[in-house]
Amino acid sequence: MSEKKQQVSRRQFLNYTLTGVGGFMAASMLAPMVRFAIDPVLTASTAGEMQAVVDVSEITTDPQRFDWTVEQVDAWYTSDVTHSAWVYKNENDEIVPLSPTCTHLGCSVSWAGNEDYPDQFYCPCHDGRYQKDGTNVADTPPPAPLALYEYEVRDGTLYLGQPVPRGGV
Amino acid sequence: MKKGKGMKFVGDSRIPADKQKFIPKDYSEYPGRTEAFWPNFLLKEWLVGAVFLVGFLCLTVAHPAPLEKLADPTDTAYLPLPDWYFLFLYQLLKYKFASGAFFVLGAIIIPGLAFGALFLAPFLDRGEERRPHKRPVTTSLMLLGFIAVFWLTYEAAAHVDWEAKAENNKPELPSSVEIDTSHPGYAAYENSCLQCHGGELEGGPAAPTLIGVEYGVDEIKDIAVNGIGQMPADQFQGTEEELQQLAEFIVSVNEQE
Amino acid sequence: MLQRMYDWIDERVDITPLWRDIADHEVPEHVNPAHHFSAFVYCFGGLTFFVTVIQVLSGMFLTMYYVPDIENAWRSVYYLQTEVAHGQIVRGMHHWGASVVIVMLFLHTLRVFFQGAYKKPRELNWMVGVLIFFVMLALGLTGYLLPWDNKAYFATVVTLQIAEGVPLIGEMAKTLLNGDPSIVGAQTLARFFAIHVFFLPAALFVLMGIHFIMIRKQGISGPL
Repeated sequence: MSEKKQQVSRRQFLNYTLTGVGGFMAASMLAPMVRFAIDPVLTASTAGEMQAVVDVSEITTDPQRFDWTVEQVDAWYTSDVTHSAWVYKNENDEIVPLSPTCTHLGCSVSWAGNEDYPDQFYCPCHDGRYQKDGTNVADTPPPAPLALYEYEVRDGTLYLGQPVPRGGV
Repeated sequence: MKKGKGMKFVGDSRIPADKQKFIPKDYSEYPGRTEAFWPNFLLKEWLVGAVFLVGFLCLTVAHPAPLEKLADPTDTAYLPLPDWYFLFLYQLLKYKFASGAFFVLGAIIIPGLAFGALFLAPFLDRGEERRPHKRPVTTSLMLLGFIAVFWLTYEAAAHVDWEAKAENNKPELPSSVEIDTSHPGYAAYENSCLQCHGGELEGGPAAPTLIGVEYGVDEIKDIAVNGIGQMPADQFQGTEEELQQLAEFIVSVNEQE
Repeated sequence: MLQRMYDWIDERVDITPLWRDIADHEVPEHVNPAHHFSAFVYCFGGLTFFVTVIQVLSGMFLTMYYVPDIENAWRSVYYLQTEVAHGQIVRGMHHWGASVVIVMLFLHTLRVFFQGAYKKPRELNWMVGVLIFFVMLALGLTGYLLPWDNKAYFATVVTLQIAEGVPLIGEMAKTLLNGDPSIVGAQTLARFFAIHVFFLPAALFVLMGIHFIMIRKQGISGPL
């Protein structure tokens, strides 16, 4: 009886060693590969610099759309991509640069894009609407206000950075 | 196994419902000191595997995988060589009896016979005897083949300066400099310099790249006329005005960086 | 818990015999390096399989970054090797693994050959093994075109010229491999990629499956 017991424990011991050695092999083989695969997640996002967009004097109290082009480096592929923003000056003479990306599903909104709502941003995809300050109109699909760009004014020129999302209401 | 009616299955499947306990085979029936594959033998195999893996990983860390320059079909100075395990074929095709009119012999018939014989070895060597020294013909043919492959590989590899080859073919990102072919100096460049320094100033086997040079206009004019280092004098042919434009062109390309 | 999950599955699909056959088969003394050190020659086959596993895994991960396109292939390899963490190592494993697998295969072939282990009843398994050898060489050949560097390009041009030299079918074979009667370029790379990543591995897996099933059926050859 005791002999049999010993047999089992020897087999178990071998099984544990086997699992250990197997685990070591699998780990040392897969560790570099997994790190390689998940690299994009761990790479700090390279937030672009501020880009010159438009002369401040061109900004009015009505939202206008301004486009600018940045060189986008996508790993081994470099291309020029165009970004755009709806920019206006509010009552306090502050510049409001709104992202045109609808917070619902990412379509592009436009100012007075629908004849029925001349004072609102309108998204043609699912009839989403936003007030002039970017707040989403209740009972339309968007869950949050339009994102605001980081901005600064240098030498009379408006520079825009990354759009900063505003939380939903 | 029981057959026919009376067998019970799991549901309507063909899996027997009353399963017998699986009894491992009895070791004592086998001659010699045999052992079970799992876990006894596999453990030994895995230990060998683990040692092998460590060595292999050390190799990959110590010797990064080589990558050469982006393929350039116009690079006439490049010596094409296959991976080492094809070097013996590459070397074979260099010999007179295996090239030219005898190309088919060298490229198809000889390798075809060798690999065909390898493939059909069980039917060519039909004797009962397994020991190498009891079947001298087979063994000596294989040894001959092995020596031939080894020697051909050695011959192919020994005459190559691998370090220089790697040095000349270091990978470099293709420059993002744009060549403005409408620049007035480009015509002069095309006439006098392009042959050696390349269509995009990238350099070539005979001359270095002109991208990244730090000379000013006057120095470039001087080099174009009087040469520098390996570059002989009087490479530039044209008027003084063209020389000025040429120098300005090269400087303008370098300013893009 | 695990035991009950296993029993639940086993009742339905009867998996015990499948792995028991592999786990419990007897390994004779003459192939066991623990008894006779010279039996290490029997490890070469297993090591070949091990390196093949490394090749398959590292290859799968490399395709996460690699693109088979003459504009971008070299750039993507350069990028994954210089910018991506451990890219150097993963590509290194695939690169050196390709050489090591040939070495191991070669040693395994020599072992089987000199021991006469290919004789009756194992003729078929020997032939399958030689086919695996050919598939491996073809994998190496198609593989080194993929980075689209100078070596890739020029070595492939030479290979295609050899293919062209074959009597009668040479021209056709070359065009078939090349994708174009004369240009070694975009189509060649796409084809070699497809062959390297899908066709040859598929053939390799089938052949290896047959190889292993036959070994289990016939058992390992006896001592000399």
